[in-house]
Amino acid sequence: MVLSQPHTQLSETNPASSHDLELVDICKYYGPLMVLDQINLNVKAGEFVAIMGPSGCGKTTLLRVIAGLEGVSQGHVLLRGQDITGLPVNKRNTPLVWQSFALFPHLNVRQNIAFGLTLTRHIKAEVQQRVQEAAVMLNLEPLLDRRISQLSGGQKQRVAIARALVTKPNILLLDEPMSALDPHLRIRMQGELKRLQQALSISFFYVTHNQNEAFSMADKVVVMNQGRIEQIGTPSDIYNAPATHFVAEFVGNNNLFEGEVVEINNQTIQIRCAQGLIQAPYRDRPHQIGERVTVVVPADRMVIASTGPIENSIQATLRAREFIGSQVIYYLETSTGQEIKLIQQQSLNESLNVPINADLQLSWKVESTILLGERSVDAP
Amino acid sequence: MAIQKKQGSDRLLALAGWAYLLLGFGFLLLPIFALVLFSFEDSRLPTLPWTGWTLKWYNFLLSDGRLLEALKNSLIVSPLAAAAATVIGFFAAYALNRFEFWGKKFLSILLIVPILIPPLIMGVAFLGLLSRVNLQGQLLSVFLTHVVILIPTAIALITIRLAQMPSDIEQAAWNLGASEWQALFRVVLPWSIPGIAGAWLLSFTFSFDEFVIAWFVSGFQPTLPVAIYSFMAFNLDPSLNAIGTIIFALSILLLVGVELLLIPLLLENRSNSKQA
Repeated sequence: MVLSQPHTQLSETNPASSHDLELVDICKYYGPLMVLDQINLNVKAGEFVAIMGPSGCGKTTLLRVIAGLEGVSQGHVLLRGQDITGLPVNKRNTPLVWQSFALFPHLNVRQNIAFGLTLTRHIKAEVQQRVQEAAVMLNLEPLLDRRISQLSGGQKQRVAIARALVTKPNILLLDEPMSALDPHLRIRMQGELKRLQQALSISFFYVTHNQNEAFSMADKVVVMNQGRIEQIGTPSDIYNAPATHFVAEFVGNNNLFEGEVVEINNQTIQIRCAQGLIQAPYRDRPHQIGERVTVVVPADRMVIASTGPIENSIQATLRAREFIGSQVIYYLETSTGQEIKLIQQQSLNESLNVPINADLQLSWKVESTILLGERSVDAP
Repeated sequence: MAIQKKQGSDRLLALAGWAYLLLGFGFLLLPIFALVLFSFEDSRLPTLPWTGWTLKWYNFLLSDGRLLEALKNSLIVSPLAAAAATVIGFFAAYALNRFEFWGKKFLSILLIVPILIPPLIMGVAFLGLLSRVNLQGQLLSVFLTHVVILIPTAIALITIRLAQMPSDIEQAAWNLGASEWQALFRVVLPWSIPGIAGAWLLSFTFSFDEFVIAWFVSGFQPTLPVAIYSFMAFNLDPSLNAIGTIIFALSILLLVGVELLLIPLLLENRSNSKQA
């Protein structure tokens, strides 16, 4: 039943050696509760993979499985081609950057960073040098003798990353590392983290519920829901071509319309929705007349009719407007009561001073329309 | 006018509060003050008028070897019993904090039981048990019984500290390559130090003061409280005041030690929670 899921892509065909991490058929259940359901996922060497999903989707459990903090009920974890499924947590070298940072409060910054090296026999000079390297990399040199309680949130995070990198791992696991930071710091850390990953050219396995973080940093985004992988793809794949209802609703600002296929020709498919007829491009997925489908239209692909090409259009009433930076978000309502979101650059909008409660025509290009099959029965 | 009146009644109330406090503390501390004072009184009778200062009662105590011997016994038994109880308490608290296992509830109740049983019953029971295995009447018997009664205190204090430890930091140690023992000694133990120190100090104080059980099991190697009791049975003179003064001074020293250790601990936690 799970294997028949059409959207679990396993497109990587590279030989195992070029993979830092392979997850093969990972299942985990607590009693009857499926926490991880047939997870298959590869992380190429040097790849930045973001695991995204709502809380409780199993993303953190997956991270803990890789680190060895949780066991699996079934399946294998391969690190650089070596099966580590049965290896205890302390023998894996899969360091984790914790959401809470989990720094050792009784040690200072230097001792925290050195911790992983002091557990086995290391020459003192070497430990010092590696700590120094990690500190330079993360701009921590002036803080090395500080106590942990004297650090700010951003500094603590850099210590947590330095501490994880000091043992020179092939892969770094990050568990929502930004969630404890101030919003302005988050944006800056995103850039720094990406640069760090590229400079080190190691893989990052980054768990988050924040799509901005996932999209801005990751080479590959994995969307999870209810213990299953919904879609794997590049950020633009996920954003522009959501493969499931869940992804379409969870990611981006998509408008969804339920409808029925009424006509198919070699270029377009006509769908009848409560809001009127909508055309979608004919892509490789086969559809039949009479089939129930969902039409997905990204909010930033819609325009208010007078300013754009009219290929698909619907009527809606403007209910509210919100300015976010250079963008304006319009909240509209159709005659059937469905809420629609529309995003425009502010410059486009300045000439168009639409009053609230005005009836508007929204339009978008046929090629921006995404078609999904009927909502599967077990989806939420 | 009205405001002035209100201020006046407030001040009166504050004054009454202070007076109450002073009276309360005076009532509590006056006997001790009298005890300390009359340990330096020349006359045998602890009454006014003051007849003169002397140290002869202290001299008398020191020249009588029994009490010094008992003090020595106490200073051997109490630190060791406190240390043993603290070590056992640490591991028990760690296990109860970290693991879920069959019979955990039962075990945690069992560990508290020694505190609930009256010492008299405990003393009789221990004497019965120890005499069957020929361990009665020695310092070792006091040590063993004291370890048993001190464990609950030690567990309670160390558990409080362990419960505040973020579970992440132990897992972080494993994640960085530490074995369970390495994580225990290099992360959990340092974290628990304030709790451990507090547990040892409190256990030591309990053991040092403990009379009833020690009276049953100590036999010919009495601890200080037991020796004081037998001393009292024969001498009713100010040398008892002198003993009281010495014990009081020792207790104060210990109390100050505990506070110096525990208060920084509490303050540190408060600033931690403020940050969070």
